[in-house]
Amino acid sequence: MKRAYLQIIILYCLKKLQGQRTIYSILHLLNGKKSSQTIQDAHLFQLTRLFKTFEQLSRDELDRYTEDMERQSWISNNEIGHYTITPEGERILQDVLLKCPLPTSLNGWKHHKSTDVFWGRLSLLVQVISHLNNHHTKYLPVQKKTSIHKWLKSFLLTSGSARNEVGIILYKELLKCFEGLCDISPAVLTLRLTGHNRIGLTAEQAAEQLGLGLAYYRIQFLAALHYLMECVGRNPGSFPLMDKVLSGLDESIPLTLSTEKTYNLLNQGLSIDEIAKIRRLKRSTIEDHVVELALNVSGFDITPYVSNNIQESILHAAHRSNSRQLKHIRQLIPQAEYFEIRLVLARFGEGK
Amino acid sequence: MKLETILKQRFGYASFRPGQKEVITSVLSGKSTVAMLPTGTGKSLCYQLPGYLLEGQVIIISPLLSLMQDQAEQLMLNGEKKVIAFNSFLTHEEKKQSLMNLSKYKFIFISPEMLHFEAVLNRLKKLKIALFVVDEAHCISQWGYDFRPDYLKLGEIRKQLGRPLTMALTATATPEVKEDIKKSLYITSSNEFIFSVDRPNISLKVEHLSSYREKNERLVELTKRLQGPGIIYFSSKKMAEQTAEHLKKHGIGRVMSYHGGMSQENRILVQQQFIHGQLDLICATSAFGMGINKENIRYVIHFHMPLQMESYLQEIGRAGRDGDNSIAIFLYAPGDEQLPYQLAESEVPDGIQLDWIKGWLKENKGVLANLSQYEEQIRLLSGLTETQWRVFEDSFHRKYKMGLEIERIFDEMKTYNQIRLESKRQSIEEVYRWISINKCRRQHILSHFNEKKTEVIENCCDICGLEFNFFTQKNNKENQENLLYDWKNHLQALLIPGE
Repeated sequence: MKRAYLQIIILYCLKKLQGQRTIYSILHLLNGKKSSQTIQDAHLFQLTRLFKTFEQLSRDELDRYTEDMERQSWISNNEIGHYTITPEGERILQDVLLKCPLPTSLNGWKHHKSTDVFWGRLSLLVQVISHLNNHHTKYLPVQKKTSIHKWLKSFLLTSGSARNEVGIILYKELLKCFEGLCDISPAVLTLRLTGHNRIGLTAEQAAEQLGLGLAYYRIQFLAALHYLMECVGRNPGSFPLMDKVLSGLDESIPLTLSTEKTYNLLNQGLSIDEIAKIRRLKRSTIEDHVVELALNVSGFDITPYVSNNIQESILHAAHRSNSRQLKHIRQLIPQAEYFEIRLVLARFGEGK
Repeated sequence: MKLETILKQRFGYASFRPGQKEVITSVLSGKSTVAMLPTGTGKSLCYQLPGYLLEGQVIIISPLLSLMQDQAEQLMLNGEKKVIAFNSFLTHEEKKQSLMNLSKYKFIFISPEMLHFEAVLNRLKKLKIALFVVDEAHCISQWGYDFRPDYLKLGEIRKQLGRPLTMALTATATPEVKEDIKKSLYITSSNEFIFSVDRPNISLKVEHLSSYREKNERLVELTKRLQGPGIIYFSSKKMAEQTAEHLKKHGIGRVMSYHGGMSQENRILVQQQFIHGQLDLICATSAFGMGINKENIRYVIHFHMPLQMESYLQEIGRAGRDGDNSIAIFLYAPGDEQLPYQLAESEVPDGIQLDWIKGWLKENKGVLANLSQYEEQIRLLSGLTETQWRVFEDSFHRKYKMGLEIERIFDEMKTYNQIRLESKRQSIEEVYRWISINKCRRQHILSHFNEKKTEVIENCCDICGLEFNFFTQKNNKENQENLLYDWKNHLQALLIPGE
């Protein structure tokens, strides 16, 4: 069961998708594809936390996992050719998630741009401190990216602490952070750290030592990093050093280039139809952009596109039908357009 | 200043290894130098040290990206900041940047294909080149075991750079290859240093087994008994990986695989774990070992047959750099020679493939002048591998520029490829013969390089007789580490300064 945790994640996604999307939407989600469709789906079906958690997953692998699950009757095809989870699948999913739950701190979407760089900085910083402590200057850095090396140099110059104290402060801050981490062992991170005379483990080795499957290990590793970032971000005053490690990391949500253009034109006061004409795009494409903006730009006002009245009735209907399928909501309020429903779900969809 | 003083100051060594001082003194006297030093004896020091005594830049031509990267890093590890590895790893922006500032560097590593660019060459011309180093110089010779067409142009480039002081380095070269090196580089007068390829502290053993399965079983036995650290070489990534897993299942603890398909971060970690003694055994492809300074490797096992004696010597040469006794074991089962034959054939385009291309080119004469733009199309059409394409394109280009007819070009190519393939076959047969002989294995290798065995060596080879127990583990230490991992302790050890 351990080995197949990735399969469980796929199963979890299928359950959330409720048969409304193809299996490959999961591939795009886990790979972290930056298309409007993938991003909107992630929000619509509450899968944002898994965004870009398995960048390496290939189509072939996904196919193999899917075939295997179908053979075991965990999933089956519905009338429009999409997979849905079967009662047997539900049972397995619950069973595994009870034993190996998704860590609460996992938040792929929020941190997908900065996780790698954060790990790069942290691991190099620890290595450099360890060698400094031992007055050792000749060693091979575990990170090769010049951008990370440059960051480290300027960090050491501007950290404001004496060199021999940086390690002590970092140690205290990490310990304090980890105190609140209850569902993951900090070992998932520390085992990977390299220092003087002790080289860190690879992901595979760490997973083996902890007795975890590689996929579940990976999820925990990411979640532990997300946890640190969240912990420091929420209370930077308590973690001044770690805050510097995170500084300049772009946590803002990226817009696709095309959406960016539309956004600029909207800000100039143009209407959707005018923008479609100017950009020689279909109205529906511009509508997609507006939905993306509603998802990602906090404070983006949707009332110019949906009146408050309709907003309320859509929310009401969504609540009543307990479905995220636009069709069902539309049946309840035929006066609302699909675009309006999508917009409202995007604005108020997740956790609200 | 005495050379020894600089050696101590810059590199931290107390004394030179055999050959190093002679080669260094030779270039410092202003004489171009051809040096053959066996693997594992510190070739790179021969150009690094003079770099600090000569005014101007040291240019090092290196054939393999990974090797170049390792050597550059090695220098940086030593505290040298003015190093650049100029190759396709750099981004376009980085290339532009470093090209502008080329004169700020002391050591410039460069891959031969980079020299094709006019801009690069023009920049080099503006430098004061203290020393022009051709590493792995045997690649220049068509009769060398690792011929690289790009290397053929080095002589021309050396001329354009005003014939700077030159050092040609190689680990293995037969007399013909050595002559080829001098001729191709237009070196008219030079000092030559040829040191024996022999590494007397490495014992040689060939084991004949009856099947693949038996080889696998033997591997478990050997790795359980032999004193580590060790390396096992494979010809395929997959086999290296599978065998590492297989050995783990059989209770061999600290083993990992290493190959070019791994992520950069993992490659660094595994390599460093091995160097720091956290691993006892690496299952590797030939990607592992170059530029890795680990002194105490006690054994090297070959699971697959290498393509020629030269690369075999390179690989076993990674054992015993500390001068202590080590052993090289070659596992052979009947039929093993098929794989190297297939590999050799896959490197040279065959007659049918060439006919296909010829036909296509005759119909599309327009493409002849800039063939490289049609690489994808031609390769798809003919099924050439990347290596085959490289060989094909280069020789076509040269012949076309000479104004030869297409028919003639392809005829010449076919003949030439026949000869190349034949020489590769002979190299493989050479290895096969070495496996099968019942005379001293060391003597056989030495005579391949026109050398004679002069001294009596204890535990020389399985034919002369060797005491296997000499190489087995003395103290049967169990894996005592990693029993209890405490993350707080680890973090503390990493971050808190000791007393």
